[in-house]
Amino acid sequence: MKWHVTVDTRVVEVDLTALPDLQEVEPGVYSALLEGRSYQIRIAHVRGGHAVDIAGQRLLVDATDPHRAPPRRRHGQEGRTNITASMPGKVIRVLANAGDAVKAGQGVVVVEAMKMQNEVKAPHAGRVAAVRAIAGGTVAAGDVLMTIDHE
Amino acid sequence: MFRKVLIANRGEIAVRLIRALRELGIGSVAVYSDADRKALHVRLADEAAHVGASPASESYLRLDRILDAARGHGADAIHPGYGFLSENAEFAAACADQGFVFVGPSAQAIRSLGSKTEARRLAKQVGVPVVPGTEEPATHIDDARRVARQLGYPVMLKAAAGGGGKGMRRVDSEQELESAVRDAASEAQRAFGSDEIYLEKLIVNPRHIEIQLIGDTHGNIIHLGERECSMQRRHQKVLEECPSPLLSEKPELREQMGEAAVKLARAAGYVNAGTAEFLADANGRFYFLEMNTRLQVEHPVTEVVTGRDLVHLQLRAAAGEPLGIRQSDVRWRGAAIECRIYAEDPDHGFFPSPGRIVQLTEPAGPGVRLDSGVYQGWDVPLDYDPLLAKLTVHAPERTAAIARTLRAIEEYAITGVTTNLTFFRDLLRDEAFVAGHLHTGFLDEFMARRPRHPPDSRLDHLAAAVAAVHTLDTAPSRVEPASVRSSCWLHEGRRFMLR
Repeated sequence: MKWHVTVDTRVVEVDLTALPDLQEVEPGVYSALLEGRSYQIRIAHVRGGHAVDIAGQRLLVDATDPHRAPPRRRHGQEGRTNITASMPGKVIRVLANAGDAVKAGQGVVVVEAMKMQNEVKAPHAGRVAAVRAIAGGTVAAGDVLMTIDHE
Repeated sequence: MFRKVLIANRGEIAVRLIRALRELGIGSVAVYSDADRKALHVRLADEAAHVGASPASESYLRLDRILDAARGHGADAIHPGYGFLSENAEFAAACADQGFVFVGPSAQAIRSLGSKTEARRLAKQVGVPVVPGTEEPATHIDDARRVARQLGYPVMLKAAAGGGGKGMRRVDSEQELESAVRDAASEAQRAFGSDEIYLEKLIVNPRHIEIQLIGDTHGNIIHLGERECSMQRRHQKVLEECPSPLLSEKPELREQMGEAAVKLARAAGYVNAGTAEFLADANGRFYFLEMNTRLQVEHPVTEVVTGRDLVHLQLRAAAGEPLGIRQSDVRWRGAAIECRIYAEDPDHGFFPSPGRIVQLTEPAGPGVRLDSGVYQGWDVPLDYDPLLAKLTVHAPERTAAIARTLRAIEEYAITGVTTNLTFFRDLLRDEAFVAGHLHTGFLDEFMARRPRHPPDSRLDHLAAAVAAVHTLDTAPSRVEPASVRSSCWLHEGRRFMLR
């Protein structure tokens, strides 16, 4: 059985009948032996797949079982983009209101975590369709802060 | 000695202090906010008191609640750690007023040495060099021109009322001066409501070197040598070491800077631990910057090379006991490097990354010391600074210490949150770092040349295989086809354990 797994932006074919020697030695920690070399590999769930730590690098890996792949959902509706929080934090300021025109790269929401403020920017120009972020509220990674219509 | 000490702090430093207290047979009282109920320092302390909601302003910065907790638990002293209330003279005074020993300098010493202008005045008075500059504002261009000629270019313009880079301008020649003064003054006016500007000589590519001091109430004050802290990002230290690599060229510097720091502390009647910060140029000239009137984050560096426990010494001094060490007793052995492990993403502007620590493997082995405030399964709160742990290594000399640090960093693994461990792997291999050519602008330059790791198809395949196997293993109620597994022994073993 072959899986097509995305590693960062690259697609890798994995043949589950011909795997290297992989042992789960602790929860989320694998020992791999390949061509006489020993590797420790750590895996944790993140948004959009798994973060895999190997040889000092962190790779974003999306492996989906071809037999139980969920129907692909689009990120927001056609012609509409959800701006999401990349990290958990507290909403400090909302810089755009519903109906406002925004430019690509314009700061729309300020989120603070661990004493650092991050200005979340509009990925493209458009008009603000809905504002979900509330100043003073907390958000989790992946939460929708604002929705923008393409113009 | 004390019977019970309250720790007015959290995270790794609270854990560090609890350890010292336990070693001395003293009871420990932790304080915690809502976010920290399950924090490591609460688990390890003998007693714990809730002091408020998650924001620090409603808990760790509440003098009243911390003093109530100390009273309620019968503590006889309070250790403030670093940050939070540690350099708050009002808190130190309130502790004394209410009958608790504040483990640190007197409120008076915090006030006088904690103020940059006051400390600078004292330094000049006792003959400790400071960065040359004006004491009076030189906002008028004629004054500025005269002063700049005396100091020699390049000079730095600074807002008298402020900090944080606002109103600051580097001026390399007299032609640039007039417009720079005008811009800096108007920026200062907007930011601080005062257009007063003063001038300082700009030290080009300085090193940030600090001297550890410790004093008792019997008039003994000694220094425990230097720490090189030039590795900074946005004025936040990232890596510290002792000896400073500059000492290989200027070995007399330790004694000279140490003497200067002791002179200053003695003049201020300083008691307990403190740190004098200096800038040093490539010629070994040094200039006093400011005094930190507390235990520093990076104190383990000094502890491992001197073999002295600064927290033990602090507690002894606070209890009125003599230090029991003379300056001539202090010896420095080998080299130490400390890395601050932060929950922040080096690939995305070092943005903080709070969250759950899913899996944690800590380094061990010869010469490794870990001061950590976290554990596997704990949620790193977003309310506080992102320091998770400090990794300090000790080796016979700097090259061996770098190799040992790299080895320990390679053993260290934290998943669930993003950390700066990968950044250290690159930094510790950097040629200029290994050569010891450090200065406060080093990390900005390093980040621009930090190597990008090209994709490696072997690692890609292993990562993909692990992700596929892990997805199968963690998928709910799936019958596992035996042929898929790589090892029949593993499969058997699992079945055996399930019985």
